[in-house]
Amino acid sequence: MNKLSYPLMGDYHIPAKFLLSHVLKIDIITPPPISNKTIELGTKYSPEFVCTPFKYTLGTMLESIEKGANCLVQMGGGCRYGYYGEVQAQILSDLGYNVTLINLVTKGKTDIKRIVKEFKKIDPKFSRLKALYYTFITLKMVKYMDHVDEYIRSNIGFEIEKGAFESLKFKMLRDFQKVKSYRELHRKYHFYLKEFKNIKVHKPDDCLKIGIIGELYTIMEPFSNYFLEKELAQNHIEIKRFTNVHYLLFEKSFKIRKYLKDTKKYIKYKMGADASDNIARTKYLCEHKYDGIIHIKSSFCTPEIGAMPIINKIANNYGVPVLFFSFDANTSETGIKTRLEAFYDMLEMRRGK
Amino acid sequence: MDKVGIPRGIFYYYYGDIWKSFFDYLKIPYIISPSTNKEIMLLGTKYSNDEMCLALKTYLGHVSYLEDKCDYILVPRIDNFGLDNQTCTNFLSAYDIVQNTFNIKTLNYNIDLEKHETLKRGLIKIGKILNKKHSELVKAYKYAMKKYKEKRESEIMLNFNKLNSSKVKILLISHPYNTYDDLIGKDIIKYLEKNDVEIIFSDKLDENLTNKLSERISKDLYFKYSKDNIGALELTKGKINGVIFLSAFPCGPDSLVNELAMRKINLPYINLVLDDNSSFTGTETRLESFVDMLKGDIHE
Amino acid sequence: MRNCYLGVDIGSISTKGVIIDEENNIITSCYIWTEGNPVKAVRNLIRNIKEEIPEDCVIKGIGTTGSARKLIGLMLKANIVKNEITAHAVGTLTFYPNVRTILEIGGQDSKIILIRNGIITNYAMNTLCAAGTGSFLSSQAKRLGLDVNEFGKYALKSKNPVKIAARCTVFAESDLVHKAQVGYPKEDIVAGLCKSIVLNYLNNVGKGKKIEAPIIFQGGVSKNEGVVKYFKEVLNEDIIVDKNSHLMGAIGIAVLARKNKVGKTYSLELSNVKFDTKAMECTRCSNNCELLKIYRNNELVDSWGSKCGKY
Repeated sequence: MNKLSYPLMGDYHIPAKFLLSHVLKIDIITPPPISNKTIELGTKYSPEFVCTPFKYTLGTMLESIEKGANCLVQMGGGCRYGYYGEVQAQILSDLGYNVTLINLVTKGKTDIKRIVKEFKKIDPKFSRLKALYYTFITLKMVKYMDHVDEYIRSNIGFEIEKGAFESLKFKMLRDFQKVKSYRELHRKYHFYLKEFKNIKVHKPDDCLKIGIIGELYTIMEPFSNYFLEKELAQNHIEIKRFTNVHYLLFEKSFKIRKYLKDTKKYIKYKMGADASDNIARTKYLCEHKYDGIIHIKSSFCTPEIGAMPIINKIANNYGVPVLFFSFDANTSETGIKTRLEAFYDMLEMRRGK
Repeated sequence: MDKVGIPRGIFYYYYGDIWKSFFDYLKIPYIISPSTNKEIMLLGTKYSNDEMCLALKTYLGHVSYLEDKCDYILVPRIDNFGLDNQTCTNFLSAYDIVQNTFNIKTLNYNIDLEKHETLKRGLIKIGKILNKKHSELVKAYKYAMKKYKEKRESEIMLNFNKLNSSKVKILLISHPYNTYDDLIGKDIIKYLEKNDVEIIFSDKLDENLTNKLSERISKDLYFKYSKDNIGALELTKGKINGVIFLSAFPCGPDSLVNELAMRKINLPYINLVLDDNSSFTGTETRLESFVDMLKGDIHE
Repeated sequence: MRNCYLGVDIGSISTKGVIIDEENNIITSCYIWTEGNPVKAVRNLIRNIKEEIPEDCVIKGIGTTGSARKLIGLMLKANIVKNEITAHAVGTLTFYPNVRTILEIGGQDSKIILIRNGIITNYAMNTLCAAGTGSFLSSQAKRLGLDVNEFGKYALKSKNPVKIAARCTVFAESDLVHKAQVGYPKEDIVAGLCKSIVLNYLNNVGKGKKIEAPIIFQGGVSKNEGVVKYFKEVLNEDIIVDKNSHLMGAIGIAVLARKNKVGKTYSLELSNVKFDTKAMECTRCSNNCELLKIYRNNELVDSWGSKCGKY
């Protein structure tokens, strides 16, 4: 009997599980939440100077295997992320595990025929029509989640009842998992959106606003950024973040042309992965009166390293401070906290509060 | 007449010969920065970001060296050679990094075969900026390519014939901008040659063959230069005694591709990762023991 | 009766304490080694301060900063706990309202703070490791058989500083040993080390930052004349080193304690205060957070280190 599992990133394991469990009639194993053990395991078996998402996803795979999984899913593209799968499969097989790794994106594209073939191998009853239908619902779910998250991010720092947003989001995600049809999902979404808007907040007009940009995995997996957003919210800061799965899947390819036009003064070409996007976002944040920008990435993230000097230049031109973080598996948490504290002290001083 | 500056880093090791013949034919004066030395390395660290790879750091050093010595600096951008043959993201961003770091005029062209931007179009584009006629540029391009192909073919022949040598043969898997850089690969090559080892260079093999053959080691690989490199392992299979993987810290593609290759081959190998602090003493110790082992001296 | 404010800066290497009055005059100060035990160091510090403090002073505010700020803040019941970057900037601005750049190299970290019109506009801290900081300098001094305090004077003797790769402690050490073995004069090596610290600092922490005068250099390493000299040389600007530069963090936090006073009077009597910390590993989930529980007079006042927030 095949047991399937997948790596984790933020809350996206919920739509992932939703899709897989409806499409495949095999056991789906939810990996344990990312913890220190995950990253320890991942680091132990990873090449030395690979970027951290490799370590996190490999760690999760090993934990899933421990729980009995023998099929794993991996996806990604844009930089070396797209090549993770093959190397991870080799590492797992060298460790003596007999697992199938299905790469949803290979060589930068999604080859539907190949994926269907691979899914048929693990579940002979796999139906394309059903898969199509549930993929549609799942993508909508992702869109709704990202939309709600955006609202949460700009308000969670100002909630009156502590934890109100988090507990409602928890409820929403639990309900999303149980939906049977698109209509139900749609109804649930509107219901919860209203609920979120009913949560009382005390948000002053002149609150501090910070934009978070950087490498996608580190941005979207809170454990890997040391719960940066939570930390900022606790200090009553409005957070703007651009990267989410919906953006990567549907918006990125359209927006890039506009981005290049906006930043013509600085860059001529599209740079790797999200580098040009982040350069354009820097300009956006500077022009829209954000108090500061936090750029986060995993260590050795080549595309973002290339973007950093340009981001720095733009921010300097506008006089907006940027805080750069490069996270590795063993970054000191105290150091991060000190820097962050100093950052919002500085922003408040700049505001003349 | 405007003088063109050519930084001796990254792109130079792929296109230097073509550029030189192209400019020679058109009688355009040019200056090439000297081999990487301590001064250039220091300039490189000054203008680069701490986490950039050693090759990009030295490249920026070369650009800075040329800053006040010419009218234009030639900085191309290479995106891809087709969908399955992408380059490292530094090849995509080097131009914009240079443009934002230095206050200089650049000559730039883009290679993006997915969008039909070829080397020919690129060279003609920069030739026009230098006020040359189209017909002349086409001739210059043909001349440069002919000379390049002749040289390249003889180099490949020479390199490939080394496989018949009776000496201990080591395949050096490394990007040419590392292999032939004075501060990175030079000492290693010198050491190996002195110790009577035949070095097969992974970049001096027929890339049409190696690119295809790489599929036997990695089917999902989409980095052109990495494919050419590890394809060399298949092309020389059974004819070499050992492999040296040489890369610049912290090379993105190499970190994964070399890892996979090391796990798949059944040959003795060492993995050398160099950064601007590496001293040759440490490398020498590792090379020495590796060569000793291959030669079997220690068992006698 | 005079109202006074206590500022304590507990770094990894040294602990600094200062008492100021309403007009920011320093009444007394104290500087001792932390020796890996901040609680004990602060007990000693407070004892020293108590002996020197004039009879008519009443403490109206206490502030803590530095890496052990939270712990000591609980211990002293401080009315303000702030990070060292803010504290240093505030302290320096108290004496030099026109300062535009603060360079700081301390025991284990180094930072740069840019100030325009009296507010911090940008800052950076070292990201790599302890290379080029105070602890690195003192370990190298020991290796060369010199006293850290003479180190700077020694460097001034040199005319030809040797080039030393100082980006990483390990590499610098091997480079240093090599140069010493080859036979370079000691003063040139020492000078080379001082210069490499400056270059390394500017390339790492100072990268992309506009360093404008007036420039103030502080932190333990600012006591090293060699490093000061090379900062002047490389930046081609005058470098101000205040005689109280090592106290700036403590002064800054004392000023902040004054600004944030709550109208309470504080006692400096610590001998009857029992203060304990207990470390334990939480086993509730696979995070295995290392929890640190803080007890004041056997009463749990706080616990840190939990990722889930249950504690």
